[in-house]
Amino acid sequence: MFEQIFHAFADPLGQTFFQKALLGGSVAAIVCSVVGCLVILRRMAFLGDALSHAMIAGVAGGYLFMKLLFAVEAHAPSMLIGSLIAAVVTVASIGFVSRVSRIKDDTAIGIMYTGVFAAGVVLVSIFRNYVHIDLVHFIMGDVLGVADSDLWVAAIAAALVLSVVVLFYRYFQLTSFDPIMAASLGMPVVLIDYALTTCVSLVVVSAVSMVGVILVVGLLITPAATAYLLCDRLDRMMILAAVFGVTSVTGGLYLCMWLDSSGGGAVMLFCTFQFLVVLVAAPRYGMLANWIRRTRMVPQQLMEDVLATVMRGGGSPVSMAAISDYLKESRDGVAGALRSMVREGLLSKNRDGVTLTEAGEREARRILRAHRLWETYLKHVGMPVADLHRRAHVLEHVHDPESVAYLDDLLGHPEHDPHGSEIPPTVNACFAGGMCTISELREGMTVRIESVGPTAERLGIEAGESVRVGPRSLGGTAWCLVRQDGTEVLLDHEAADDVKATIV
Amino acid sequence: MSDDSGRVPAIEVQNLTVSFGCRPALLDVTLSIDPGLLVGVIGPNGAGKSTLIKAILGFVKFDFGKVLIQGDTVESAKGKVAYVPQRGAVDWDFPITVEEVAMMGRYGRIPWWRDPTAEDRRIVAEALEMVRMSDLQQRQIGRLSGGQQQRVFMARALAQGADILLLDEPFAGVDAATERAILDVLDRAKASGRTLVVVHHDLATAAEYFDKLVLIKQRLYAYGDPVQVLNPELLGEVYEGTLRVFQDLPGRENARV
Repeated sequence: MFEQIFHAFADPLGQTFFQKALLGGSVAAIVCSVVGCLVILRRMAFLGDALSHAMIAGVAGGYLFMKLLFAVEAHAPSMLIGSLIAAVVTVASIGFVSRVSRIKDDTAIGIMYTGVFAAGVVLVSIFRNYVHIDLVHFIMGDVLGVADSDLWVAAIAAALVLSVVVLFYRYFQLTSFDPIMAASLGMPVVLIDYALTTCVSLVVVSAVSMVGVILVVGLLITPAATAYLLCDRLDRMMILAAVFGVTSVTGGLYLCMWLDSSGGGAVMLFCTFQFLVVLVAAPRYGMLANWIRRTRMVPQQLMEDVLATVMRGGGSPVSMAAISDYLKESRDGVAGALRSMVREGLLSKNRDGVTLTEAGEREARRILRAHRLWETYLKHVGMPVADLHRRAHVLEHVHDPESVAYLDDLLGHPEHDPHGSEIPPTVNACFAGGMCTISELREGMTVRIESVGPTAERLGIEAGESVRVGPRSLGGTAWCLVRQDGTEVLLDHEAADDVKATIV
Repeated sequence: MSDDSGRVPAIEVQNLTVSFGCRPALLDVTLSIDPGLLVGVIGPNGAGKSTLIKAILGFVKFDFGKVLIQGDTVESAKGKVAYVPQRGAVDWDFPITVEEVAMMGRYGRIPWWRDPTAEDRRIVAEALEMVRMSDLQQRQIGRLSGGQQQRVFMARALAQGADILLLDEPFAGVDAATERAILDVLDRAKASGRTLVVVHHDLATAAEYFDKLVLIKQRLYAYGDPVQVLNPELLGEVYEGTLRVFQDLPGRENARV
């Protein structure tokens, strides 16, 4: 059994044609995938298709040129140059057509590449007595019949293209992401576009002999797209795409040996299979992850209500029944919320019910802070006290740090809400080592001054000194700092906002 | 900034005409913006506001006229002007992190054969600190809130170290708190001596936010203090029918009462 498996993998490796296919295929796949990353980010996938088809005219042209003028048969370099010329002509004519008429880019690509492809096919068939190009070979590719010359072409193209991409990585990245900024920095945007098009032509040329005209665009974009689903950085995406390119070739070649199928087909089939697996299973951008996120998602509002309810329990365990009664929510809904919150580490569960974990308490205090600041705000804008709680209960869900900080500042960093309950201070103003402004501090804390802004300079406090926070005065609008020599310094709102301190 | 550059305008646009096809996007625009100002560019849709920004960046071809950046032509002033794109113009799915975007501000100064130095990294870290985005450095830009996304690009502009910042509709589609946060960053950039030109769509806040206003619709209709620029007659001419809604608003409310 094991021996069989061993042979299935090891036997092909001993054969020269397989070794060449693996080597040539991997080199072509690596460079295709790396360039493919830029191709898909610039939405140029169709261009790869166009270039590969246009190639046939170039190959035939190069072949004929050398054959008729110098009587050299199948001169590889001139066929390569012919393909590059055909690629450039195609790209230029696509640009020309869309510029001089109302025809859009995608249509222009479709027209021009089929036109150039057709010209190549006609050329090859007219001169079939002179030109020995196998059209089927060209269209389908023959990875198992990789010749040494193909290997050389692939290796040189790969070395060239990879050096350009690595050396000018930042240029390619910025012109793809924000061409306007690239231009404003003086980067030659148009030149870079042409360089990329040339790179695409080169890799397509080097890969066509292996996987064929039709499949080469797949090798260009599929590994890159697979990596795109897994990465948040372009450099990592390129590396991962190259890995996927190599695994596609390796997996595809084995598949082709075992099934005795077409080489190029097997490679692309494996490549597509890889993509589908990642599409389903990618941790962040995959379908499964999306689905799990959707089903597991407990409404934010319910979660916050639960936190607030458990906090009101004052540290003793609260039962699920009590929570669902208090919130008038269904048992199932609350049970789901509790499960997800235990999983997220906000609650801990024991026999009598749930209690807040440290993270849960921090979160609950944040919500309570938002709630009480909203109450203060509503009072401030003139709402009757009786309605405050109900409205604030709705508004407390608006608690992104910026909005809460805005309310806090607008209201002059109040310490108590209209009902007289304490408004929990910001997180940074609670623990030793946290940095905040003086205005966020509460009485009794000892802090070290970190920086003193311009509005507070005249007060004589200096960075580095240690002070104790005294009680607020003048209706909460004056902050008091007690220095080490016992003298007191009073700060108004503006000055208190301008002094930063670290809690000791 | 030296005394000398205090007299040279930060941005000088002379008889600028830019066209796409037969209709001009900008027609004979002449404008001189002094250093250290926060300038708003207002005008109806399709008035050429973004084109003006792109012209100052040197991204569009002029039919006629010239643009001088601190006395130099745009071609020779590459990198002196930083740019914050419109939110809609950015591919938010691009695989790039907050830190990498900010680092792009340094690209103009890093030759192609070298990696970013420790100095570049320090400047980027400072810029991110200034817009309060240090905590999210490794986040992909699509997974940020609207205001955070805007601030990342502000950081990029700051990291570029340019004296002139151009912002295309930074306040479009952000909530009030974010608007305030962005304004705060703008004010701090201005306080450090930079010149800011901001495309703005909300006439109601224009006077409050900016030192000077540019009113354009293809032609330059006015450039000056907000009180002068925001006069109903001028606005009525530029916005034609579209502004009546705005002007009638208080009147209609009275009628209902």
